[in-house]
Amino acid sequence: MTLEEKVGKTLAELGVSDAPAVEALFAEVRAAMDAERQELTSRGAADDRERDKLCKELRDRWLARKNGLMSLIDDNWLKKAVKELKPVVGRQFNDLRKASALMQVEELIRAIDSLRGRAAATSSAAGTLTDDLTLAGHARTTSTATGTLTDDLTVPGYRRPLGSIHPVTRVLREIEEIFLGLGFRIETGPEVESVYYNFDALNIPETHPSRDDWDTLYVDSKTLLRAHTSPVQIRAMEKYGAPLYIIVPGKVYRHDNPDASHSPMFHQIEGLAVDRDITFADLKGTLDFFAKKFFGEKVRTRFSPSFFPFTEPSGEVSISCVICDGQGCRTCKESGWVEVMGCGMVHPEVLRHGGIDPEQFTGWAFGLGVDRYAMMKYGINDIQLFFQSDVRFLEQF
Amino acid sequence: MKISLGWLKEFVEVPAEPRELRRDLTMLGLNVESISAARDGWVLDVEVTTNRPDCLSHYGVAREAATFYRRALKPLEFPVKESAEPASSEIAIEIADPDLCGRYCGRVVQNVEVKPSPEWLQKRLEAVGQRPINNVADVTNYVLMELGHPLHAFDLSRLRQRKIIVRRAKTGEHLRTRDDVDRALGSENLVIADAQRAVALAGVMGGEDSEISSSTRAVLLESAWFEPVSIRRTAKAQGMHTEASHRFERGADIQMAPVALDRAATLIAELAGGEILRGMVDVYPRRELHEPLLLRRSIILRVLGAEISWEEVERILRGLGFETERRGTEGWRVTPASFRLDVTREVDLVEEVARHYGYDKLPTRLRSAPPRVEKDLVREKELAISARLVALGYREIIPSSMVDPAENARFTDRPPVVLANPLSQEASALRSSPIPSMLRALRWNLDRGQNDVRLFEVGKTYSPRAEGLADERRVLTLGLTGHRKPVAVYEGEKEKVVGIFDFKGDIETLLEAFEIPGLRFEPEGCRYFDSAQGGRLVAAAGTFAVFGRLDAATMDYYKLRQDVWLADVDLDLLLKTSLRTFTFREFSRFPAVERDFSLLVPEGRSYHEIEGAVRGLGLETLQSLSPGDVFRGGAIAAGHYSLLLRVVFQSPTHTLTSEEVAGMSQQVLGALERLGIRLRT
Ligand SMILES: [Zn+2]
Repeated sequence: MTLEEKVGKTLAELGVSDAPAVEALFAEVRAAMDAERQELTSRGAADDRERDKLCKELRDRWLARKNGLMSLIDDNWLKKAVKELKPVVGRQFNDLRKASALMQVEELIRAIDSLRGRAAATSSAAGTLTDDLTLAGHARTTSTATGTLTDDLTVPGYRRPLGSIHPVTRVLREIEEIFLGLGFRIETGPEVESVYYNFDALNIPETHPSRDDWDTLYVDSKTLLRAHTSPVQIRAMEKYGAPLYIIVPGKVYRHDNPDASHSPMFHQIEGLAVDRDITFADLKGTLDFFAKKFFGEKVRTRFSPSFFPFTEPSGEVSISCVICDGQGCRTCKESGWVEVMGCGMVHPEVLRHGGIDPEQFTGWAFGLGVDRYAMMKYGINDIQLFFQSDVRFLEQF
Repeated sequence: MKISLGWLKEFVEVPAEPRELRRDLTMLGLNVESISAARDGWVLDVEVTTNRPDCLSHYGVAREAATFYRRALKPLEFPVKESAEPASSEIAIEIADPDLCGRYCGRVVQNVEVKPSPEWLQKRLEAVGQRPINNVADVTNYVLMELGHPLHAFDLSRLRQRKIIVRRAKTGEHLRTRDDVDRALGSENLVIADAQRAVALAGVMGGEDSEISSSTRAVLLESAWFEPVSIRRTAKAQGMHTEASHRFERGADIQMAPVALDRAATLIAELAGGEILRGMVDVYPRRELHEPLLLRRSIILRVLGAEISWEEVERILRGLGFETERRGTEGWRVTPASFRLDVTREVDLVEEVARHYGYDKLPTRLRSAPPRVEKDLVREKELAISARLVALGYREIIPSSMVDPAENARFTDRPPVVLANPLSQEASALRSSPIPSMLRALRWNLDRGQNDVRLFEVGKTYSPRAEGLADERRVLTLGLTGHRKPVAVYEGEKEKVVGIFDFKGDIETLLEAFEIPGLRFEPEGCRYFDSAQGGRLVAAAGTFAVFGRLDAATMDYYKLRQDVWLADVDLDLLLKTSLRTFTFREFSRFPAVERDFSLLVPEGRSYHEIEGAVRGLGLETLQSLSPGDVFRGGAIAAGHYSLLLRVVFQSPTHTLTSEEVAGMSQQVLGALERLGIRLRT
């Protein structure tokens, strides 16, 4: 039975008596409509007059008020449908009517023209299309395609542009989450800090060369830009006393000229745990857990002695080099290990400065450079990229 | 500190390959940066922390290795062959300021022949990064590298009246040091003087005039101990840093002074000929004994979480030069070695034990902190803010907080925090406005052909306060330029640049995450915005955001060629505001009725007023109202504009009748009439 014959009959005559059959029937009509349109647009026309004629013929076949396919469907299928089928036929017919908008003469003409244009564009024809050729590839297809675009489903979908979170923030949050999961709390402090909190209270006297380990930016003789997040250790001890489990993320400042591995402003995370029976074993266990969680389950950690005036004993944590798995390579300077943070048992003098009795409480602390972690994690080789705000960098995260 | 493996082995047997030694030293806290081969064999570059001046020598590193490998450390014995003539007849030494100089040992070597050092010594010095000069100077450097004690050699003939006085410099006193700099001195500087004048900056550098030269025949060798703080101050004030000052300011070993002196004197006599005069002149006013410390076994357990045997603790501490004496079952009385000025507390001894016991052998335990009930609300809000901004297409930036104060002043009257020692003028203050950083970020991208940019920053501004630390305020800054959407014509999408309502909508969407009753727009922007293209969002709690289009003057200043939109959001205020909470509200199952009113509105009436008037009616069935079309000119009477107002009515209880809708429409029109607004006819 041809389409023309089918639309001349009622649904009952066609033996269509349930919703699935209705849907199948309409799908058939829809497919015929699409095929005929496509056939016309791809065949094209010799000239504009012929094009207009062909388009009008197709339009009339489908949309003519008298005896157009659509009007016959309306009369024979919809209006004569039994009550039970009316809703589904109505819906299907409505959808079909929307789709049939593409059978209007103007739409058909546009489709033929744009297909012609596309062909011209690929063969670098002159004319108005040369403007489009200067556009980026993706823009070129879309800007010429209005009519047929919906046909070519290989065109990328329309993406709403999302923003992005800075890689340093990403790493900060990841580290925060690990410690939040261990019951630590986030604490912050001022970036313009007193010399007392930045140095003296942390057992770094002006008269000791260890103070030179922090190249400091000063505001005046008593005020500076904090050179590390450690002052917040003292502030938090004063504020909360013990027990205390905190991490301190934030910006820190050094008198360092910017280059690929230095920036006068960068980020640290400090961690501090003070309680009654904390030992070096807790420090090792927690930081080993952290390192595995952050760098991967397989990494091994190594604790080696170091010196920080505010911890005693002091240590450095290294992880097995993830590049060579500890065999030795250029990244780890042939040692198999990469240093990732400083740590230690809180110096009794520091506890005392924070108002905590070192005979009652012990503690451990660590500090790490967040920017360096982000560089390691994402393979970034220049710290300056973090602070330039270049979209080509930001959009990668 | 460069350590030659061959040299090290003169003091201790090293039962390890260089690679293993590197690992073992690192595990003792002597981080080995690299190993390299020199003419003299393997050289380890050891990073020595500021608390361990004793390891700034081969002998010091050998002591660590000996303790670790359980090998004997070769004792230091340097028998001196002396001539009959007493040194005291050639030199008199006086310490005038014993608070700054604890000991001064001197020896005189006569009839030396100053010439280049032999090959073996030159190789050694080169291997550890020292430049050979002449045999006498080289010996002092050699002993410095070997034993860690700085020495100085004077040409004895240049010392007036053969006298050494260790004293504070006199005001106005000058000294030309060996590096050919004329240095003005003051009473804070300790000098070595002869009867008339300063001849050396104590513990830092010798003077040019008394330097060893090829014509030197008699040498006074100095081996002293200077007070660390004074050396540090002097070196800093003079902008100097020498091998000697490096060690003295960290703390030299007062008992090493005579040993190093004997070592140097015998080496000079060996290499330069000459006789060592009888006796060492040893002025030692400050015989301070190290206070013994109590080391409790309980502390070792409490800090390290490990039981370490009595014998192991003793082996370690004795190996490192400490004297230990058991005190019952409690622990030990420990007398620190003279070369360990860093060990002043019980816990310092715990670290020594831990280092040599091995951090890797100490136990490991993972425990969580006590669980917490309270939520981190600030973090929750911060995450909500950035999630919304990311959804709106904004990218987070972290620009430097340091700016040029002149640029900063264009945007605010709050003074910035000015630095005393900035890196550059462009980074000489902490900003008090976030705008310059955002504009620089936008310009950076525009200059690089990236024209559609949306950025946000969560940061701070800083301003000094009369009392106390700076006023640090948290700010959220938005920057927007370019197109509304990426160029795309999937459905006839046209390129369109961002306008005020795009930006206002973004800020409204952001603030919508929070519970802000009565949030309203006020047209007053700020001085760097176009007056007609900006404003602020205000509620009872304060101003949440000021936003707008950058004005022409500022565009020029930043050489911007396309419109830029900026918002300055008060993050402190926002973080004090509650996040919006969610409560389900039953929606009506009855049909909504839509009515469009084509209104003639007198110019000057704002949409805000219109909305206020309609909502003020308190109609229960008023579902929504929104502005449709605005039109001016044509048939519209002068002084008016036409507004299409779309109002939706819906009842929760029944289908509205046309009479009800008509009645409510009349009420709406009545309310609008009071604003001088009427229906277009
Ligand atoms: Zn490696």
